[in-house]
Amino acid sequence: MSAAESILAHDDKHIPGHDHGAGHVKLQYHAGLPLSNPKLIVWLFLSTEIMFFAALIGVYIVIRFGALVWPMPHDVHLSEPIGAFNTFVLICSSVTIVLSYEAAKANKASLAKIWMVLTFILGCVFLGVKAYEYKAKFAHGIYPWTPHSPIYEKPDYNYAQAIRFRLDAIRQDPTSGQKLLDLSAVSVSERLPSIPEQLTPEQYTLINQVLPIVTAELKKYEATSKEAQAQATELSTNLTAQNLNPANLELFRKTIWPNVLKEIEVKKSQTTFSKEDLEQFAHLERVIAIANAPVTVANPEAQNPAQMWEAAELIMPAAPVHGSPEAKSGEHKTGLNDHFSWLKLPVLIPGGNMWASTYFLLTGFHAIHVIVGLIIFAILLPKTLDRRKAGFIENTGLYWHFVDLVWIFLFPLLYLF
Amino acid sequence: MSDSKHAPVVKPLTGAAAVDHGHGHDGHYDHDDTLAHGGDDHSHGGLGKYVAVFIALCVLTAMSFATFSDFWPFGKHVTWAFMMAVSCTKAMLVILFFMHVMYEANWKYVLTIPAGMMSIFLILMLVPDVGLRNRWAADERVNSMASERDLNPKQSKHSAAHSTPAAATTVPHK
Repeated sequence: MSAAESILAHDDKHIPGHDHGAGHVKLQYHAGLPLSNPKLIVWLFLSTEIMFFAALIGVYIVIRFGALVWPMPHDVHLSEPIGAFNTFVLICSSVTIVLSYEAAKANKASLAKIWMVLTFILGCVFLGVKAYEYKAKFAHGIYPWTPHSPIYEKPDYNYAQAIRFRLDAIRQDPTSGQKLLDLSAVSVSERLPSIPEQLTPEQYTLINQVLPIVTAELKKYEATSKEAQAQATELSTNLTAQNLNPANLELFRKTIWPNVLKEIEVKKSQTTFSKEDLEQFAHLERVIAIANAPVTVANPEAQNPAQMWEAAELIMPAAPVHGSPEAKSGEHKTGLNDHFSWLKLPVLIPGGNMWASTYFLLTGFHAIHVIVGLIIFAILLPKTLDRRKAGFIENTGLYWHFVDLVWIFLFPLLYLF
Repeated sequence: MSDSKHAPVVKPLTGAAAVDHGHGHDGHYDHDDTLAHGGDDHSHGGLGKYVAVFIALCVLTAMSFATFSDFWPFGKHVTWAFMMAVSCTKAMLVILFFMHVMYEANWKYVLTIPAGMMSIFLILMLVPDVGLRNRWAADERVNSMASERDLNPKQSKHSAAHSTPAAATTVPHK
């Protein structure tokens, strides 16, 4: 019996407002709106979601158009074709969910399930592509970190200091420190086969790069005799101060350094470096030289923007500009951070921090909504998707279409603007 | 999951009590009540319509992606206006057809028209206030934020084309 018939079939006592047999007034029940409660709730929920994303997109607009500089897509390794592909994937999933609803309405349960499975798969494809994009961002130094993100805004002494701090942190760390040491050792052994009469600051820097090996050799020397201990301590102190007196220099040149070179030869036979490794390491030495160059009256160009940009280009070259010859040839310039994954030097992207904040905020919240949609599909999939489930599927479809709508707006805002 | 019963449209006592359905075909109680529908229990032109909307969406996506290609001749503001127009068109297609709003009853106007009026009003009020406020910046911000002169000299010719309107004027300090 339908609802209306059941109301009409009730006797007068059950109709609200009736005066119990005294008269003929029959009040009928009308819904406030001609749609079911679940659907109304979903539309109300979507209106709150609109407010939610309107706030986030409004934040992006205010920050983006209030920034003096904003990175180009190639500066932050953003790929528009991947964004367009994701848009296409979500549009397809919108079509499949509405076809699933139509099939369920027509009581074709297995067809509805097939479309639902397709929607689920397409949603997973979207998330997979997004994960790939995020991985690319993280690999290029675009992620949050304390106390400062790896992204620096200005090519100045703060960036140089950040590079020096990162290199110190690498030297402290056992695994990456060892890799850095091995590479440095190869280069140093070639550039400093013997110690000259006078050591220049660059040569002190070279010795400093293999300091752990030198310290180990000094310890071995200390163990030989009592005077050796005092000598070794004095040598070590003066080496740090870059101020070896002739006696220390003699000891260093005759005893310590040849042993260091022997040690390096042993290491070289154990590890092999490719030509590219050594080429990239030469770049790293240039970066270290730039970051360490003291800013003095004699050298006022040290750590100036041109030098810091040179270092930044070596660390992470920007992706080729769309339409340029480099882009057409398809080659991807590798920088230090690409080649040595353990290096993770700070990168220089003016406007990059705000860009990263808004990008991850918008796409992250959207991805969370996609995951929630996938959970709802996963709940629906084990069920029989016949006419009784058509309402559930319709409301799920409303939510999923909203997620697609948000992406339709996010795609041009983030990728194409 | 049982949905609430659709309101029975019985012969009304007064004309105003009748429930109006937008397209004249209302969900009578003598149809299957277990359907939760806002009055749309026929298939609205079926698969062909959905395919047509899908193709239109793909074409629109390709058009917005065309702004990224080498052959796009227009400037920045025309490009942005075009992309927003394309996005709004795609959004309307999804809303009207995939979310079936075209076939819903008049309540959709009750929801959308006041909301639309308020959002336009909001934008008109906020753009001159918040939107243009960033042309002025406090000292702390100017000192630590990146500016035009921090751009890579090798790329600056290209990046300058992308710079925001605020950068064209010097940033006065507050």
